[in-house]
Amino acid sequence: MALASVVLQLALVVATMLVTATLVVIGPRRLVTALQDVRWRLEMCLLPVATLALVLFLRWSTVDIAVRIEHRVLGNNITPRLFELEQLLFPVNPVAALQTFQSPELTSFFAFVYIYGYAFLLLFPIIAYFALETMDDLSTLLLAFTVNYTIGLACYVLFIAYGPRNFDPLLFEGLLYDGFPQMRRLTNQVNQSTNVFPSLHTSLSMTVFFLAWLTREKYPLWVPVSGVLAISIAVSTMYLGIHWFSDVVAGTVLALISVHIGRSYSIRDLGRSIG
Amino acid sequence: MTRGAPSLSRRHLLAGASGLSVSALAGCAERFWSRAENNGPDQVALTIKTVPADDDAMASMIVSRFRENVEAAGIDVSPEPITESELYRDVLLEGEYDVFVIRHPGFAEFDDLYGLLHSQFVSEGGWQNPFHFSSVTADDFLEQQRAESGETRRETLAELFEYLTETTPFTVVAYPDRIGGTRRSIDAPAPPQRAIEFIDLLSTAPAAAGDRDGPLTVGIYGDGLTGRLNPIAVDQNRIPGLLDLVYAPLVRRPSESWEGAAAGISPSQPPSNAESVSPEEYIPWLADDVRWDDTGRLSATVSLRPGLTWHDGEPLDADDVAFTFRLLADTSLGTADSGIPAPRYRGRQTLVDTPDQIEVVDGLTLEIPFGTTTAPAAAQFLTVPILPQHIWEPRSELVAERQTRALTTNNDAPVGSGLLEFGDAGSDALVLEPVADHVLRDSVSTDMPAVLDGFPQFEGLRYNISPNVGTMVDALLAGDVDVTASPLPPEQIESLADDNAVSLLTAPSTSMYLIGYNTHHPELGNPNVRRILSRLIDREYIVSELFDGLATAPTTQESLLGYRDSDDRSDPLPLAGFPGTDGELDVERVRRLFDEIGYRYEDGVLLR
Repeated sequence: MALASVVLQLALVVATMLVTATLVVIGPRRLVTALQDVRWRLEMCLLPVATLALVLFLRWSTVDIAVRIEHRVLGNNITPRLFELEQLLFPVNPVAALQTFQSPELTSFFAFVYIYGYAFLLLFPIIAYFALETMDDLSTLLLAFTVNYTIGLACYVLFIAYGPRNFDPLLFEGLLYDGFPQMRRLTNQVNQSTNVFPSLHTSLSMTVFFLAWLTREKYPLWVPVSGVLAISIAVSTMYLGIHWFSDVVAGTVLALISVHIGRSYSIRDLGRSIG
Repeated sequence: MTRGAPSLSRRHLLAGASGLSVSALAGCAERFWSRAENNGPDQVALTIKTVPADDDAMASMIVSRFRENVEAAGIDVSPEPITESELYRDVLLEGEYDVFVIRHPGFAEFDDLYGLLHSQFVSEGGWQNPFHFSSVTADDFLEQQRAESGETRRETLAELFEYLTETTPFTVVAYPDRIGGTRRSIDAPAPPQRAIEFIDLLSTAPAAAGDRDGPLTVGIYGDGLTGRLNPIAVDQNRIPGLLDLVYAPLVRRPSESWEGAAAGISPSQPPSNAESVSPEEYIPWLADDVRWDDTGRLSATVSLRPGLTWHDGEPLDADDVAFTFRLLADTSLGTADSGIPAPRYRGRQTLVDTPDQIEVVDGLTLEIPFGTTTAPAAAQFLTVPILPQHIWEPRSELVAERQTRALTTNNDAPVGSGLLEFGDAGSDALVLEPVADHVLRDSVSTDMPAVLDGFPQFEGLRYNISPNVGTMVDALLAGDVDVTASPLPPEQIESLADDNAVSLLTAPSTSMYLIGYNTHHPELGNPNVRRILSRLIDREYIVSELFDGLATAPTTQESLLGYRDSDDRSDPLPLAGFPGTDGELDVERVRRLFDEIGYRYEDGVLLR
């Protein structure tokens, strides 16, 4: 019941953001044109959508097996390595440094960005690219998302890693769940606390931002909006004590790889090269 | 904070590089070879395993302080957070750990140390000697105390504690108070932990006027709590009270701390587990009578209540009881060579001569020979949960090498014989339903346990499962939960302060945070090292700063080993002394301590 109310709230907020952004960034005229030939558009992006759906379905259906392999078979706990690496590189851990700027307003802002901003950032480009004349950018986006998930989820099986808040509550604070415990009902549905390296929040957000830059001529306004959001989300994962700096760096690298693959290949190419 | 390991490797690298160039320039091959052939001594390195802060914030904080101090002592430390069930597997089954920090529910009897430390269990899984501690001296004391009673046993135990203080296989950091919250309408005396405490709550009429519909709702939090309902596995279910409610024992140990809290005894008198409970004080449960015979070798005649049934309707008789003891001793029931004992309740099984000698006199009567064991220790044996033969006998089949199905099964729908039966489990709730025609509810009998007066006032028991502490507190404040059972970290107390419908519960307990050492680790095999490490945490500081005073620091030999006494008789020990003040370590002092036991430092790094 409590989960339902959290989800409903998320849906309302994100829907409002999407409608506003659609009107401002895409414009009503473009949208109406797009809606007139929905069928053709849907057919064009059916394959990438199906691939993404397949990856997400595989993850959902194999979560038990994945957790068993992660813990029992591989048992690769890199949490202390991440902590030591950052202690070696920085005088103060970046997460702890960010948290010294803590204020209730900042915490609310970053919590909002982490949950609502993130959902909006991932969903809006799907609508935006759907409204373009060709479906190339949408296919690129969906393929890049798929690559993100595939590599990210493989890493989650390979490495057990806990975030800063779980590692040492005296050095790092778990600001999100201290302030908004109900959010855990939501995040629990999609993630486990050992899925930290790399940060998929960062990689997916950065993917959207990089693609926004590449499509800047079509949606010039989307570049600054997605840029501010993506960077805020990356910072929020650290400020809220959920991810290490290393996770964010790895997430950004993953975004670059995903965008590169998304731009260079199509699902058909990949299928052919594998086949 | 300075890191030892990197500076060491840098030093090695530089030394190697300079050595190479010098020898090349001077043509001095000797120097080069000696460097190449001899690896310098390495830094002492330890991993510390504990649960992530989400699951137990206090354990995580204790590790944080401990890590800083151990690191300052020149040791390379890696703290490794790991889920509770995996932690238990690593520590209790695989032996894959160096140091662990865990919240232990607390010992019930002195004899618990037998299972925990006797070298007979050195290769067994479970809470059987997870430290791989082996000492002939300790074994002797452990065996001796079993055969003794009264003052003689007391003296043996004192010697045992003295010896264990010197050898320190594990050490207690603090005894946290039970902290929780209750709706005023229920007014629980303390957060319930043990089955008997839940039963007392269920038998007590709610304080609010009028009858109350529905089950008693108990708030708990954590991940994957309902996945495993196997009462004899190590990574056993962590829901307080659950399996002991479903699987009833022959007798139940009374809960002094609960009765104390109910009677309003002030927290300044902590509960004690350092006194033996006499066998007569145990509450007869499935048994309606236990007759002890200590003329010669000790034996007990147990008679069951007539008319007992399992939750699936099958009758429960003395054969089930004898079967349970056989299964615990060997879950393969004779098929595997030398047997595969259940990792839980193992220490207690050794109280009986051999489980085969348990004699089923008739359908309701058993005779259990305890040999040289004395009654206070033996009574513990009768508190193990009784399992249905018709369900567990087929589970004796082998599924892998030295693994029986009895140990691997999740036991998704447990069938027991308790007053509550398993109803339903989901990700956000687990429901226990009252058994309508249970023998213990039969008001005709006169010898009912007093705790059952008025049972039940609720339609069963519902565990409300939250993903984290915050949501559990929210559920309590919203009235979705009557009382909380999972421990509340002290920092959450404020959130209960402003609400008039809710009251804060704190009660001292015998549960404890302990640091355990794997004596198979090259350095931790040295008792002197374990003793110094055990001093590297300022217990008083932990209690006052991290627990806000809602815990007790151990100060005596016994309490450092898990036995609290209501009055601290001995003086605080120098052994427990923290080398520093107010949580701040005096690094020079620690180095001297390691110096004294023959260890060396180089550039602030402790060498092997």
